Amino acid sequence: MEAEAGYQGEAPSPRRRVFPYHVLQRPDEKLVDRFLEAFAWVLEYTDYKPLLDSYSRSTAKCNRCAVACPILLASGDPRDIPCYRTNILLDIYRRYFTLGGWASSRLSTPFELTEDLIDEMGDVFYRCTVCRRCTRSCPLGFDHGLITRLGRYLLSLIGIVPKALQVSVREQLLGETHNTSKVPRAGLLDVLDFLSEEMAESLGVKLEFPTDKTGRDYVFFCAVSDYLMEPDTLMGNAAVLYAAGDWDRWTIGLCNYDGINYGLFYSDWHLESIIKQLVSEVHRLQGRNILIGECGHASRAAHDFIPAFMGKSAPPVYNFMEYTLDCLRQGKITLDPDVITERVTYHDPCNIARSGWIVEQPREILRSFIPDFVEMTPRGADNFCCGGGGGLVSIDELHEFRMEIAGKVKAEQIERTGADLVVAPCANCKKQLKEIVEHYHLPCRVVGLHDLILRAIDIPGGTPPAERKEAAALLEV
Amino acid sequence: MSVDAWIAFAKGPLFALSFLIMMLGLGRQVALQLYFISSKKGRRLRGVPWKSVARETLSWAVPVRHMQPGTELFTASSFLMHIGIVLVPPLLIDHIVLWEHFLGVRLPALGRDTADVLTLLTIACGLLLLSLRTFAARHRMVSRPTDFLLLPLVILPFLSGYVAGHPGVNPFPWNAMMLTHLLSAELLFVLMPFTKLVHVVLFFFDRISAVYWQLRPGAGAKIAEALYGEEARV
Repeated sequence: MEAEAGYQGEAPSPRRRVFPYHVLQRPDEKLVDRFLEAFAWVLEYTDYKPLLDSYSRSTAKCNRCAVACPILLASGDPRDIPCYRTNILLDIYRRYFTLGGWASSRLSTPFELTEDLIDEMGDVFYRCTVCRRCTRSCPLGFDHGLITRLGRYLLSLIGIVPKALQVSVREQLLGETHNTSKVPRAGLLDVLDFLSEEMAESLGVKLEFPTDKTGRDYVFFCAVSDYLMEPDTLMGNAAVLYAAGDWDRWTIGLCNYDGINYGLFYSDWHLESIIKQLVSEVHRLQGRNILIGECGHASRAAHDFIPAFMGKSAPPVYNFMEYTLDCLRQGKITLDPDVITERVTYHDPCNIARSGWIVEQPREILRSFIPDFVEMTPRGADNFCCGGGGGLVSIDELHEFRMEIAGKVKAEQIERTGADLVVAPCANCKKQLKEIVEHYHLPCRVVGLHDLILRAIDIPGGTPPAERKEAAALLEV
Repeated sequence: MSVDAWIAFAKGPLFALSFLIMMLGLGRQVALQLYFISSKKGRRLRGVPWKSVARETLSWAVPVRHMQPGTELFTASSFLMHIGIVLVPPLLIDHIVLWEHFLGVRLPALGRDTADVLTLLTIACGLLLLSLRTFAARHRMVSRPTDFLLLPLVILPFLSGYVAGHPGVNPFPWNAMMLTHLLSAELLFVLMPFTKLVHVVLFFFDRISAVYWQLRPGAGAKIAEALYGEEARV
């Protein structure tokens, strides 16, 4: 696709760039020089140099990563071999930033960075969902996801980044609404009113969502798109908080209510900026902990990078499923095991499962009230990516790639379970899996974990789950 | 210089020099890794799952549970080859004399038959891996010239050593084969810190990627400013 006129009137590039996604471009004279300059500054100010040094010295190129990559398994395209992609960046590093690379370029056929290679990087680094399944298959433990991300970061510094991601981040950092979906505060309040009414009607309790309350134990963030598209998930979250007697312990901030952090996908700079914005909201509200709703990358961005960037002043971060499990184990909530009769399976979002952080917690919750629960194979930290990770799900131009290649293995995996319901506690995974289900005509529905909890949870003073089930069945008739 | 004089030189000063280069080079890599991990400790070390990293690293030493479908041949060959590489050079009776002479250390000896089996296994697995890299398209695509050259270089000391130690299969003069064995092994010593053979030490450090995910605060803004000055924008 050709570069189109830039954001806010920037001049389009004179050179046709062929990427599978739209870009907002800065002028790209001397692209190779700019890339190397960006690389030099990245090495100067970050800790990537020892990583690249270590990897470039010991890379075995054994190809074991190849069998782990769901994209390569579907495409068969050698460009999708994780170590092929990683070695592009390692070759550049070695050639331009090591004495050995400089010397060997003079002794043998020199490897040179070209604009064509930059174009190739712009393509292949966005054919990866950064799921890091390859890392678990590598005998040396190379984190190919980290290298992909570094490649994307370098490209973003010279203006090569999918427009969809960049526009969202600009709105989140510089826009009036400070969120990726441009949901204004009034819109959020309308949604919360709507959810209150829904909960009053279905659960039999009238609850007002606590907004901008100070001094609370939990400041809640979810993917802002959930407010528009996942009411059941949010009502499930609210139901748990109410049933556990913690309604007065949480709040939603009205200056920043978006947990999404696309910086995790392509830019250290934006990752940190968005983190600081989120923590600033928590400090404004004098909140003690951060509670992230059902979103894998938002959870990981907050959980892993708030401590990295904020140091000792970092507030603790919890994924909502950790909170729910805690309530369940303490007997603060009960779930009716007779409500969900469908066969249920569980998809592990990469960002929370690959590291082993959230693997057994949702299963313990599900097994407590789902009589027909089946596992996918493989499961847990070895589970396959939905195919929409790494920001790909937000890039509409990559829809065909996500359906035909990135999500193909996942579709086959879901089909093998025979499940009626696929639990995917991640906003991006849900979007991707819903599209996969439609594309491959799979006989199942994709839901959040708290969507099911909403159906089964006992609400003090409210309508019992069995009655709610009957009422819902009547509505369907 | 006669071949015997060359052998004496290779067993003496050249061995010492090449071994020293290897140890200094590998030691430097270890020191750099430890320095990086320990510098700016606290922020960097927070949240790194050390036990999990250590467990995972050690599990790869015997990669039985890492035999994924499609990787069995490669994994088994590589593992068996590495057993020979790790055990035969230090524990072969003929080498133990060298260690005792240069380092004052007497290691337990491998039985002659065991050493022969491991040596032949190393050679066979090495040739198999070379074939995979040469004839399998996916392996070939990610390989560079050094990837094709290193395997024969690793196999050569084992092959020449076995042939030198078994006159019945040696078509060449013994001292020529012994010199080949010595020089090829010493070439490997010298190459080890400067090629991917350095994974002998980096194997224990490459997996701590969680350390590298501890991004440096403020770095992104500094980079943007350095590149674009006041024009830096999201």
